[in-house]
Amino acid sequence: MRNLLFALAALALSFAAQAGGNASAGHELVKSKACMTCHGEMGDKPSAPDQPILAGQYNDYLVRALSDYKSGRRTNPIMKGMAGQLSKQEIEDVAAWFSSQQKTTLHNQR
Amino acid sequence: MPRLLLRAVLGAALALGAHGALAQAKKAAQPKEIVGNADDAHRNKIAMCIGCHGIPGYKTAFPDVYHVPMIAGQQPGYITAALKAYREGQRPHPSMRGIAASLTDQDIADLAAYYGAEHTAAGPTK
Repeated sequence: MRNLLFALAALALSFAAQAGGNASAGHELVKSKACMTCHGEMGDKPSAPDQPILAGQYNDYLVRALSDYKSGRRTNPIMKGMAGQLSKQEIEDVAAWFSSQQKTTLHNQR
Repeated sequence: MPRLLLRAVLGAALALGAHGALAQAKKAAQPKEIVGNADDAHRNKIAMCIGCHGIPGYKTAFPDVYHVPMIAGQQPGYITAALKAYREGQRPHPSMRGIAASLTDQDIADLAAYYGAEHTAAGPTK
């Protein structure tokens, strides 16, 4: 019985880890998939005024935005191509990297 | 003779009218640049925004549940682009589509100025 509980707990933990994304894997993707060209390596330095700051943004919102670009629910030609090459897990990883950045101008106090 | 005069007057009026219309068309062809007014947004336009974006940790309730993004301190140009994308139906969220549809270009410029005001390239101002 105790072993079963441990097994269940371990299983739950592994699911949780998967759902959360892996920030260091995300960091590699941000470099190799060229997210950083427009958003900056940490997501805090967009290269043009109409591109968003991503550093410190909510993880689940970033997952949502990338998934919508990938599926075409959000139509942006550049982001369609960028998000389209990411798997579900890679989207989680990239979101984990950007959302975990501490240096950001973003906040929700207004 | 009076008929000739009438024709002349009519012709002049038409020419003037055409000239005016042409000038107007030229004006319309070159839309003047819209400058955002953060103060006006603060006083009159953010009521629809703060109920979701002004509450730390707030989540959407419909149609899916996830955190409402932080927009304060974002780049003004991106806020403009995002609101116009919602208004033009290029983004799916129903509430944001409804709200953006009610905004003029001036409203969008004002809101972008307000929410983007604290953004500086060097980092947070507060």
